Amino acid sequence: MPHDTDESSENSIDRRQLLGALGAGGLVTIAGCGGGGNNSDGTTSGDGDKETVQFLTMGVGDNIKSFFEENNTAFEEEYGVNLEFTSVTWGNAQSTVNNRVEGGKAPDVARWPARWIPQMVGKDALEPLDDLMQGDFLDRFPSGISDGVRYQDHYYGVPWAASNKCLYYNKDVFEKAGLDPENPSLDSWEDMLAAAKQIKTSDNVSTPALGLAGADAIETASQYYHYHWSYGADLVDDDNNPVVNTSEAADALDFYAGLSTEYGVTQSSPLSSTRQDIRQLFEAGEIGMVIGHVYTGLNIESAKEKDEADFNYGIVQVPKGPAGRYSLFTIDSVTVFSQTEVKDLAYDLIKFYFDEERRFQYSKQKGFLPVTKAVSERDYFTESGNWAPFVEASQYARARPKLKQFGQFNNRMVQAIQETLAGQKSAQAALDSAQADLEELMSE
Amino acid sequence: MGLTEDYSERGPDTRSGQAIAYLQENYRTYALIAPVALFLLAVVGYPILQTFRLSLYEAPASSSIKTFVGLQNYAQIFTSDIFYQLLWQTGRWIVVAVALKTILGLLIALHLKGNIKGRKFFRTAFLIPWGIPYAISAVVFRWIEHPQYGYLNSILLKLGLIHERIGILGSPDIAWLGVVVADVWIGMPFMAIIFLAGLQSIPEQLYEAAAVDGAEKWSQFRYITLPQLKDVLFIATLLSTIWTFVSFDVIWTMTGGGPVNTTATLVIWIYKTAFDQGNLGLGAAYSVIGFFILAVFAIIYLRVYTSGGEEL
Repeated sequence: MPHDTDESSENSIDRRQLLGALGAGGLVTIAGCGGGGNNSDGTTSGDGDKETVQFLTMGVGDNIKSFFEENNTAFEEEYGVNLEFTSVTWGNAQSTVNNRVEGGKAPDVARWPARWIPQMVGKDALEPLDDLMQGDFLDRFPSGISDGVRYQDHYYGVPWAASNKCLYYNKDVFEKAGLDPENPSLDSWEDMLAAAKQIKTSDNVSTPALGLAGADAIETASQYYHYHWSYGADLVDDDNNPVVNTSEAADALDFYAGLSTEYGVTQSSPLSSTRQDIRQLFEAGEIGMVIGHVYTGLNIESAKEKDEADFNYGIVQVPKGPAGRYSLFTIDSVTVFSQTEVKDLAYDLIKFYFDEERRFQYSKQKGFLPVTKAVSERDYFTESGNWAPFVEASQYARARPKLKQFGQFNNRMVQAIQETLAGQKSAQAALDSAQADLEELMSE
Repeated sequence: MGLTEDYSERGPDTRSGQAIAYLQENYRTYALIAPVALFLLAVVGYPILQTFRLSLYEAPASSSIKTFVGLQNYAQIFTSDIFYQLLWQTGRWIVVAVALKTILGLLIALHLKGNIKGRKFFRTAFLIPWGIPYAISAVVFRWIEHPQYGYLNSILLKLGLIHERIGILGSPDIAWLGVVVADVWIGMPFMAIIFLAGLQSIPEQLYEAAAVDGAEKWSQFRYITLPQLKDVLFIATLLSTIWTFVSFDVIWTMTGGGPVNTTATLVIWIYKTAFDQGNLGLGAAYSVIGFFILAVFAIIYLRVYTSGGEEL
């Protein structure tokens, strides 16, 4: 999954305070791939005169580890270089990158969420990739995806992977509640609410109808933004000024919170439920509907193969609101750091990994949406019951705004959501207060 | 040490002479503690000074540029509602958690002191919570209290005490209690062991004499145990208060300070301000305030404690 679960902090901290303390903490070297070449400047190698290129990535799990091992070796052999490949956990990712940049030890190439680009550009840490992102190479990406790595009229990365969301529903729950499991009416939020009410009032169903995230976690806002945007509200205007407290936004938040506070169709205690909690509930067959990524379905399929899950589910598009339908879109990018002394080799590495077959294998094995047109048009994705709805959802996918302070922005939105869910403030009052804080934040 | 004694008896004539004499007598002690003192200066003293300095600056985490703003960060804190909310929540957290740890620890110690079967086993068993990493205990309690999967809800439902699952950690009204329970479970064994050591140092003859005089158990506890245990009680509660004040991992792991900041304490807020919000200067100012609160508390506490002439 491109990373949108993320960390609480979107910022680096002062060099003297953290440099050296956090950076190495989360490092897990997945593959040395060459044995020598551990020089931190990445330009020389212990293996003869071979050049070394450092490739930092995040969250390499068992499902994709062999993919990197095989291809890193292939790259080394093809180019006669050393590839120093390092993976860090997502929890340590941002601090690792920040500390390496601050300490003058940035990797040559890194794969990370595209929304971190503005912050790194603010530090002059990234190399513009306009000379790479042009012509045929650029044309392989849909414009909506390539725009995700564009900032201040420059491309600072190459789209690596993407994710968006759809609405999952439990067919067994729907059937027991007297709803049509094959052709459910879930086109709008009102439709979703009507179905949820029917599940709640059904004597045959004890499963909560809808998973709602409300915990003090960044993903809570990720779940809410679907509602916010579909009601016609925005987060910032064209000049990046916050506009979170419009009447449309208040209606959206009122509806979101009301699913629990007014209609009671959610799991108990949304305020203590993260997105991961409600996804796991759905994957265990213990909730009727949830907005989730493609890997939710892949996880269920995997559980079914092991006889750990036994229910049927369907996937439909995220319901639409008064102003349309949006699916939160997240892009991971691969970037080149300005500290690199092997820029050509870094470009070679990127081009190597953007071979079409490698892109296909990566998306297939990892469960990421393909970012190139050629791969996304393959039958594997377009004809798969699990993948096709997400490919379709790309048409109305929408990314979060690129802001240097987005982490803080997002945290403040979570607070407004929580205040409304807890009944401490009305939706309008919570958003008014958030707006005031965000105006101050953005003016800094 | 005959030579030293002779020298002391003779006495130096001047103040500098006295100082030299003192150093000659004690230089080994200073030489021995010097490495530790220097180490503490480097890893404790310097960061404290830096924190004080940083609190006078506007220092965004996203920039290496700092702007001197004087006391502006402090003014912002003292005029904000959240600061007073944090003071209340921190005070509530400390008072309830320390009181429960002290009372329960004392009760356990009193019972472990008795000659019961399996005493050694229980003494060891009660130490287990203290030996488990706090964050792991916090994760376990988070799951115990989980609204969907937690044991607590299942038990309460089966007993018919609740009719639908409740999210303890998701309720702004009771989430702090859910965290206190975990903190008490973790911190209680230390108190129990300290109290047990104190109880074992009380001469048994005192109880025998009191029994001969017809004193009941409560009277023995009131007039022998508590006075004899006073020193231990003071030190244990002082330490527990300081540790509870600076406790971060339990709260952070269980609630992250939520929901709606209702379980946030000053320490949690320092982290959120400095690292979530990226405002290092303001975070440092909160740290300085926390430092003074703790220092003032410790001074008053120790003054009260030593008012009878005792010395630590």
